[in-house]
Amino acid sequence: MSIEHPVYLEDKLEQIRTSGRLHYRSKSLPTWCPGCGYYSMTEGVTWALNEIGTANEDVVVVSGIGCASRFPFFMETYGFHTLHGRTLPVATGIKLANENLTVIVVGGDGDGFAIGGGHIPHVARRNVDITYLLFDNGIYGLTKGQVSPTSALGFKTPTSPFQNQDEPLNPLAMLLAYGSSWVGQAYAGRPDHLAEMIRGAIKHRGFSYLHILSPCVTFDKTDRTYRRLDLEVRDLPDNHDSRDRLAAMSEASTTDRPALGVFYNEQRRTLGDALDAVVEKAGGVPRRLAVRQ
Amino acid sequence: MAVTPSSLNVEIPASAPARRHPKIDLRVVDPVRAAIRDGSVIGVRRTTLSGNDAVAKGALEVGARFFAGYPITPSSEILEYVAKHIFRCGGTYLQMEDEISSIAAAIGAALGGVKSFTATSGPGFSLKQENLGYACLTECPLVVVNVQRGGPSTGGPTDVGQSDVMQARWGTHGDHPVVVVAPYSVQECYEETIRAFNLSERYRIPVIVLTDAKISQMKEPVTLPAQDAIPIVNRAKPIGTQQGYEPFGLSPTGIPPLAGMGEGYRAHFTGLYHGRDGLPTRDPKMIEEQMLRIHAKLETPTATAEIRKTETYFIDDADVIVVAYGITARAAKDAVVQARREGLRAGLLRPVTLWPSDAEVLPEVLGRVRKVVVPELNLGQYITEIQRLAYESARRNQIVPPEIVPLNRVDMQLISPAQILQELRS
Ligand SMILES: Cc1ncc(C[n+]2csc(CCOP(=O)(O)OP(=O)(O)O)c2C)c(N)n1
Ligand code: SF4
Ligand SMILES: [Mg+2]
Repeated sequence: MSIEHPVYLEDKLEQIRTSGRLHYRSKSLPTWCPGCGYYSMTEGVTWALNEIGTANEDVVVVSGIGCASRFPFFMETYGFHTLHGRTLPVATGIKLANENLTVIVVGGDGDGFAIGGGHIPHVARRNVDITYLLFDNGIYGLTKGQVSPTSALGFKTPTSPFQNQDEPLNPLAMLLAYGSSWVGQAYAGRPDHLAEMIRGAIKHRGFSYLHILSPCVTFDKTDRTYRRLDLEVRDLPDNHDSRDRLAAMSEASTTDRPALGVFYNEQRRTLGDALDAVVEKAGGVPRRLAVRQ
Repeated sequence: MAVTPSSLNVEIPASAPARRHPKIDLRVVDPVRAAIRDGSVIGVRRTTLSGNDAVAKGALEVGARFFAGYPITPSSEILEYVAKHIFRCGGTYLQMEDEISSIAAAIGAALGGVKSFTATSGPGFSLKQENLGYACLTECPLVVVNVQRGGPSTGGPTDVGQSDVMQARWGTHGDHPVVVVAPYSVQECYEETIRAFNLSERYRIPVIVLTDAKISQMKEPVTLPAQDAIPIVNRAKPIGTQQGYEPFGLSPTGIPPLAGMGEGYRAHFTGLYHGRDGLPTRDPKMIEEQMLRIHAKLETPTATAEIRKTETYFIDDADVIVVAYGITARAAKDAVVQARREGLRAGLLRPVTLWPSDAEVLPEVLGRVRKVVVPELNLGQYITEIQRLAYESARRNQIVPPEIVPLNRVDMQLISPAQILQELRS
C-alpha cells in the first residue's frame, strides 16, 4: 500500500475501490470524530485481511466497550462487541470453539489496561493464537475524555482537574514481561506502516500484541496530538534483533521517543498446541475434529 | 408478561383461570426420568456420585464440550471433574484467571458454536452477573452452575445457604429472561443439569443450576439412563441462504436459529440494544420488539410446558402445605409424611424450576389451602414470590388468601423436619 504524495481524494477513492478490500466493510460507516486516529484501523485491518486473503466468514472481530471498540460494526465479518474489558477471554473461548477462525481483538487503553488488565497476562503466557490491536489514545474517548492508565503525568482532564499524578503504564514492557510471543508498535499517523504491522500481527502464529498510538482529536488537544507524535516517533534501529527479549525491553523503556516496528517475535507452542498434547495424554479425541457438533 | 409484539406471532395464553393442573407428560417435564423409566434394565446405570460430580457428569453426557472456571469452594469439584474427563469426550476446558473471564470465555465458545458452561459459588456468581446479562441479551445458550454457600460476601465458604435465589433471578441489571432450576438430590443434580442444557439450547437463554454446599458435597446412589437414551437438544441452526441471515430475526417460536462462527452465516453480537441483524439500534420500535421477544419466547404454551416444573406431594386434599426447594425440600418431605401420620392434611409443593415461577400449579394450589409454610435457608426470599402468587390468585378468585408463614435459618444449619412439622401443626 504505497501512497504517492500528494494524495487527492479522487485518487484515494479509486485506490480503495480497486484494492479489493471493500468487501470486508459493512454498510455501517464509521462514526468516529473526523480526524480520529481510529480511521486507520478500518483501513489497516481490511488491507491486511485482503493481503492475506482471509475469507470474510473466517474472521471474527472482537472488541470491548469504547470508541475503538465500535470497530466490529464497520466490518462485514463476524462481529463480537463484548463488555468493557472482557475481549480477551471471549476471544479465547471463540478460538477454542473453532481453531480455523482468524480472531482479531480491538480495544482501547482503558478497556485493555484498566478494567481488563487482569486478562492480558494470561492470554500472553498461554500464547492464544489471536491478534490484539490496542489503540492507545491515553484517554477515555467514549466517556468524553477522562484520564486513563496510559495518560501522561500532568495530563489535565475532567477527572484529573489538578493534573494527572499517576505514573503511566508501559504497555510494551508489560507485554514483553508477560511473555507475549509477538510485540509491536505502530502509529495511526503512519497508516501504511500500521497496515503492514497489522498484517504481520495477524500472520504471527500465537498471541500478537500491536500497540497503536492514536490521537483522540476531540478530547485531547494538548498531549497525544498528531503534531507531537509526528515529532516523537522513530523507527526501531535497523540492527534491532526481534528475537532478543532484552533488547526489546530496552527499546520499550525509551518512552519519550516511542519506536515503531516489531519489538519481539518468537515462535513457540500455542494454547492450541498445548491442548492437543493434553488430549493425547488424556486419550481423547483430537479437538479439531471433536469439539464442534 | 402480558404484552407481545403483534408482529411476532407468538401465542401467549390469556391468563388462565385457576384450575386443577392437567396430568403432566413425564417426557416433557422430566425427560431424563422418562428415559430411565423407559430404558432397559441393562442400559440403566447405577452408581454413587456427589452432587458436583453429578452436575459435571450430566453436562458432559448432554454434550457440553467447553468449560471455563475458577476454583471456589464448594463448587471446585465440578472444575476438577471436567478437567479429568472432558478431553476424553472431545472437549476442552480452561482454568481462567477469575470468574469474569470464565463466563466470558464460555460465552465466546457458546456463540462460537459449542455447548459451554461454567460453575461457581456466591462471590464468583456476583462477579459473573454483568456477563450473565450479556448472555441474556445476545440470547446465548449457556449453563451457569451456582453452588450456594453462606453469604453475603465471603460468608460461609463451606456452609450451606439458599440466599442467592433472588440474585439468580435479578442479579444482573435490566429486564432479562432467565431460567433457574434447583435440584434437591444428587440424582436431580444430574437430571436438572441435562434439562438446563436442553432448555438453554432450545430457547437460546442462559440457564442457572442452583445447588448448595450440602447437595454438592454429599454422595448418593443414582440411577442414570443408558448413554444413548439421554435426551439431547441442540440449538436450531439456520438453513437456506447465508446472505441476510438474521441472528435476532423473527420466527414463529420467537427463537431465532443460531449458527456457529465459521459456518458461513455471518452475525454480529453486541450487548447494546440491537436490531434483527445484531447491529446496534436506537429505534424505539426495534428495541421494544427485541426486548419483548426475548421474554415472549419463554411464554409460549410449548415453552411453559417444558420450562415449568413443580413436584406436588400429597397436594390433592391438602389444607396446609409447605413450599420448599433444594436441600430444604428434603426436610419438608419428611415433615409432610410425619404430619400425615398424625392425621394432618399436609402436602408439599416443590418448585424444581424456581424461575420463572410456575404460574400454573402454584397459584392453583395456593388458592385452595389454609396455610403455607415456606422454609428457606435465607431471611425470606422465595416467600415473596409465593406471597405475590397467593395474593394474586386470591384477588382473582375473590377468596381470602392463605396464611403464609416464613421459616428461616441463616446460622449455617439445615432446617430440620421437626421445625417444619411444628409449623404444620400450629
Ligand atoms: C463496567 C463498565 N464500566 C464503565 C463503563 C463506561 N465506559 C465505557 S467506555 C469506557 C472507557 C473507554 O476508554 P478506552 O477503553 O480507552 O476506549 P476509547 O474510547 O478511548 O477508544 C468506560 C469507562 C462501561 N461501559 N462498563
Ligand atoms: S472521542 Fe476521541 S477517540 Fe473517540 S472517536 Fe472522537 S476522536 Fe476518536
Ligand atoms: Mg482510550
